[in-house]
Amino acid sequence: MAVPVSQMWTVATYVLKKRFAGEKRYPLVLMLEPLFRCNLACAGCGKVQYPPHVLKRMLTPEECFKAVEECGAPMVSIPGGEPLLHSKIVEIVNGLVARKKYVYLCTNALELKRRLPEFTPSKYLTFSVHLDGQREHHDFSVCREGGYDLAVEGIKEAVKRGFRVTTNATFFDGTDPNSVRAFFDDVMDMGVEGIVLSPGYSYEKAPDQNRFLGRARVRRLFRAILSNRKKTWKFNMSPLFLEFLMGDRKYECTPWGSPAYNIFGWQRPCYLLQDGYAETFKELMETTRWEEYGVASGNPKCANCMVSCGYEPTAVMDGFGSLRGFWAMIRGTFSTYRDEHAMRLLNEPAPRGPAPLVQIEEPAPALEESNV
Amino acid sequence: MTAEVQRYSLDQIEALELVPGSEHEKLEGWVPDVANEAELRDVLEKAFSYRGDVTITLKNGERVEAYVFNRHTGATLAESWVQYFAPNVPGKCKVSYTEIARLEFTGKDRAAGKHWEDWVKAYNERKAAGEKNIGLEPEALE
Repeated sequence: MAVPVSQMWTVATYVLKKRFAGEKRYPLVLMLEPLFRCNLACAGCGKVQYPPHVLKRMLTPEECFKAVEECGAPMVSIPGGEPLLHSKIVEIVNGLVARKKYVYLCTNALELKRRLPEFTPSKYLTFSVHLDGQREHHDFSVCREGGYDLAVEGIKEAVKRGFRVTTNATFFDGTDPNSVRAFFDDVMDMGVEGIVLSPGYSYEKAPDQNRFLGRARVRRLFRAILSNRKKTWKFNMSPLFLEFLMGDRKYECTPWGSPAYNIFGWQRPCYLLQDGYAETFKELMETTRWEEYGVASGNPKCANCMVSCGYEPTAVMDGFGSLRGFWAMIRGTFSTYRDEHAMRLLNEPAPRGPAPLVQIEEPAPALEESNV
Repeated sequence: MTAEVQRYSLDQIEALELVPGSEHEKLEGWVPDVANEAELRDVLEKAFSYRGDVTITLKNGERVEAYVFNRHTGATLAESWVQYFAPNVPGKCKVSYTEIARLEFTGKDRAAGKHWEDWVKAYNERKAAGEKNIGLEPEALE
């Protein structure tokens, strides 16, 4: 089990309290974006394309704390931009830890090793390091040779210093499931607590508009990746969300489950879509027309989204919301998801995106043996 | 509801292999005619989704360089407004649709002109030339 019991207990009691209070819509994770500036220029990212005067703006620690208190979610994810470029990120993290929030600082880790001495290990603080696959795949995905090696140095140093560390991967079309499975072996060997993963979202503003996975391909890819799991792999995610990615569960999006706050305000309706901003969390919750979002709404911007920020809250609320859900979560935590069909998927030729990753040698297709 | 929504049923969405990407609208340098309320609303909606600065000319003649990040569309122009950041102004600014006379897409479109294929081509060329530590750099902030 990758998530510590204390964190699971905090989330479980939070969900149960909300259910008993009769609240239908409540947040689980605040996506706190203190800045949009980044030190990478990834082709799959639609988050950071702004004029310089916008990229220079940052939330103050006080604005961050106010947002966290307004929202009340037990977990805070700090993406961006690159949070380690924020001049007061240590003060922000310390303030959140003091408030007993479980903080996931999402970083590309280019600066992690250098900045680590400024942070204090805590059960409330996790460095969630962006790694999209093995060295060549990651470097090509983030458009920076050497990015993987720097990130791994940061991970190893953080683990050595006693920090909680997870890796965070986003997958696009052309992903080779065998390579991803080998990547899981690599990161578990680094001593991380667990793996976080998600299919990419089709950002309108992303430079590359040709590699966003449709739902059918997402399910096939994740069935191949996540079936026949090795017991050494740990996932810092709800097992029910992983079953959703594999096509075993049908869920609707819970956009208010991971509300996003940034320099513009409270983002409607979710972390991924920018349909306007509210000044307060209350205004966001009460005035957003939630029925206009999610697959069932027919909104084309939501049609193919299976991203964790919308669907993991659904899975968590399902898991802690009923005995049946809780049992499924327990079963999923310890299952290896043995599946012969998925094993055969691993033997298919490695997929190719619209532009071949020419620097990567074609791996010889071979059935992978898992140690189930 | 848009044409895009009508194109797919839920079953088709579930069966989709690849998501059709968005068509990037070229707005940089555009100076739209704003002759009536519908055109003003349309132009301000485009400004809201534009990833560059625009220049707003107010009815009092003042010109404002702005990154428009939010809009509220009410039943009347008086009930509608945009929010923006202006360079060298610390906080958020807001202006009513009724005060806006003209809008120009003067700033560089920060979401335009970068493609995966360009990165692959550049990578191959630089690799062939023996270069090491190849990468794309974020644009300078100055």
